Amino acid sequence: MIDSPSVSYTGLSPVLFVLGAALVGVLVEAFVPRAYRWGVQLGVALAGTLGALISVILIAGRNELTLSRAVAVDGPALFIEGTLALLGVLSLLLLAERSPDMGGSAFVAQAAVPVGTVRDRQLATLTYSQTEVFPLATFALAGMMIFAASNNLLVMFVALEVLSLPLYLMAGLGRRRRLLSQEAALKYFLLGAFTSAFFLYGLALLYGYAGTVDLRGIFDQAAGSEKSDALFVIGLAFLVVGLLFKAGVAPFHAWTPDVYQGAPTSVTAFMASCTKVAAFGAIIRVLYVGFGNNDWTWRPVLYGVAIVTLVVGSVLALTQTDVKRMLAYSSIAHAGFILTGTIANSPAGLSSTLFYLLTYGLTTVGAFAVVMLVRDADGEAGHLSQWAGLAKRSPLVAAVFSLFLLALAGIPLTSGFTGKFVVFRAGLEAGAAPLVVIALVASAIAAFFYLRVIVLMYFSEPAADGPTVAVPGLLTTISLAIATAATVLLGVAPGAVLDLADRAALFVG
Amino acid sequence: MTPTYYLVLAAILFTIGAVGVLVRRNAIVVFMCVELMLNSVNLTLVTFSRINGTLDGQIIAFFVMVVAAAEVVVGLAIIMSIFRTRRSASIDDANLLKY
Amino acid sequence: MTEGALLAAEAVSTGEAVTFWIVGPVALAGALGMVFSRNAIHSALWLVLTMLGLGVFYFVQQAPFLGVVQIIVYTGAIMILFLFVLMLVGRESSDSVVETLRGQRQAAIVAGVAFAALVGAGIGRAVYDAPVVGLEEATADGGNVVAIARILFTDYLFAFELTSALLITAAVGAMVLAHVEKEPSERRTQKDLSTARYASSRPGTLTGPGVLATSNSLDTPAILADGQPAADSAATGIEMRELPPVPDHDTTPTKGTPR
Repeated sequence: MIDSPSVSYTGLSPVLFVLGAALVGVLVEAFVPRAYRWGVQLGVALAGTLGALISVILIAGRNELTLSRAVAVDGPALFIEGTLALLGVLSLLLLAERSPDMGGSAFVAQAAVPVGTVRDRQLATLTYSQTEVFPLATFALAGMMIFAASNNLLVMFVALEVLSLPLYLMAGLGRRRRLLSQEAALKYFLLGAFTSAFFLYGLALLYGYAGTVDLRGIFDQAAGSEKSDALFVIGLAFLVVGLLFKAGVAPFHAWTPDVYQGAPTSVTAFMASCTKVAAFGAIIRVLYVGFGNNDWTWRPVLYGVAIVTLVVGSVLALTQTDVKRMLAYSSIAHAGFILTGTIANSPAGLSSTLFYLLTYGLTTVGAFAVVMLVRDADGEAGHLSQWAGLAKRSPLVAAVFSLFLLALAGIPLTSGFTGKFVVFRAGLEAGAAPLVVIALVASAIAAFFYLRVIVLMYFSEPAADGPTVAVPGLLTTISLAIATAATVLLGVAPGAVLDLADRAALFVG
Repeated sequence: MTPTYYLVLAAILFTIGAVGVLVRRNAIVVFMCVELMLNSVNLTLVTFSRINGTLDGQIIAFFVMVVAAAEVVVGLAIIMSIFRTRRSASIDDANLLKY
Repeated sequence: MTEGALLAAEAVSTGEAVTFWIVGPVALAGALGMVFSRNAIHSALWLVLTMLGLGVFYFVQQAPFLGVVQIIVYTGAIMILFLFVLMLVGRESSDSVVETLRGQRQAAIVAGVAFAALVGAGIGRAVYDAPVVGLEEATADGGNVVAIARILFTDYLFAFELTSALLITAAVGAMVLAHVEKEPSERRTQKDLSTARYASSRPGTLTGPGVLATSNSLDTPAILADGQPAADSAATGIEMRELPPVPDHDTTPTKGTPR
């Protein structure tokens, strides 16, 4: 007889809440009549995600490995699980939005009907949509939580797939501009499958090197192994390639603008915030726990990668004319800023990265929520020229969007400034001064195009037939309010959360 | 020969798959090249399992197969939904999203 | 060779070496055939060959369970799924020769050769003298399957449970993208169809392929008496084939009396 491994159900409770919500969601799809599905699904998904958030708060401070060392329940894992739960709540509210003023639901009524057929046009007039989006989103959220908390490379890989497959599907479920949406799904899928094959090959080589895929095991083996280092280095390189793709870091960033632009904006908000948080959570765990002593391997490379990312993200964003693409390139630049903190390989680096992820996630969700509001006859008004003079039409929405743009730029009194401050400080303390300088320059370039949009909104004349700002539905309003409040709060009084991140900055395993 | 030869073969297969992804236009064939890459990873894992003397490699390979199966389902569903609309599986035709 | 390499070479029996040198090139040929084949279905079949070859390797390397799973699941289920989808959607699209990015093919092949050399050489050199422990000890207590089960349900239990989430997602995704829900009132019964047909201007059945047809596949239009293709014999949703022109009747008188 074999002994079953010990399971810390309390430690796993955030993940279990979200997984449970996902499973119940699938059952709801099967058994609940169509008229009630949307409400029930939203309730189940919110219950699961809020439950996860509350349980993270309740079990904060735990430090253990569970399920035979497969899953870690430690400070960083819980911090990221909490961040993901919060961002998940906000994103779910956006996903569920279906007020008529905002064009009804963003998701197609039946994804299997080919685009452009008679049936497709008929279905476009009906109000129901594919409510499978909710269980898919909660599965993705569960995968993200486990991805950032996995202590074992195999669990990390399975969690990577669990988080990716629903995102591939959700990106293709757009109601308007279905062709674009399907194309985004195809691109994301093909590139994602390609890079997860690289991740796997790295995993295989590291297994060959260390005889185990446990992160601590790899760490111990790296301290002294009779096998040559080439396996170790090549394996790490492939592994990092896979992880950097998910985080949207250059030179593996090519999917980000296309997928962010083509997917429905609420799905983009979900992806841009939560996936990046989860990906960096995993990167930091792998690099610090598994390869913390061997940073001569990864630090120089990530240094260069961070520089390329910062340059690509900020420079290419200057030329963008579509709001979603501009935000996509800006998220690539932000990945560069986060890397600046990660390279530090110190507790300060860890806590600064965690804090930056939280602030970045909240701001991003808010920014994409505002993008959902600016609509014209065809749907969302994506082109920047259509955003001219928006402040005259709707001062409140323009002010909120300006706040988010300023936060993304890192202007003082916003959460973005605090985030950049702690990240740059960690980078400087670790001796990466040239990188911090480049990051500051990239910040300035990025600030230019953020401010350009603000100037466009406030100081240009609106086009006569330009888009209107929709009255946000209740769900979007709640989401926006929380995001705005958090952005301001974390900029003005970030002390408590910074302390939290500092206390959380200790890995187990 | 030593078991290393399997590893070299697996590396070559992995590269052939990667080149295939970059070169081919038919989305389904591109995905088959990804499957070839996953198979080469499996061969690497099984060989390392034998070299290291632990069965973990075989179990990881088993999980890779399961994950590949799920990925194939989702991927082919996405490709089929595009084909039904466009009557073509060529990825060059997926050009609405551009710089 | 170093002592380690000699020991490693001893771990490989002659039978295994022979198998490797026979099946290895076959697997390699399958991979190359898959990448360079024009026809997508041929590509799939080449990949099946490679996968079967790899299955043989798993058997030879003391992984019988994995070998069986490779053949049953990977080749027998996944590749058959590929073939199904190819038959449904991807068959006719052969890759165009025109390249979107100039020189992409050559660059990719050159990069690929360099990459394979680098990685292959790196791994080969790293491992060639590593001691081969072999799996006799690991599978001593009950055999390969029992040992795998033991580890699967202790060390890798969580990964096992997590793949269930993956499979549920795959099932949900497949249904979302492929299953069209028909409204119950939508389906027209045979009586409705028949009534509609008689109410229309053409109550008769549509023309099928005729005497002069050269093929009875669905994309061949029927030919009217004057040799022109019948427009309403086109099946919906399929591009009809272009017919070669019907040769004129030979009007020279036949020799001898008419039969």
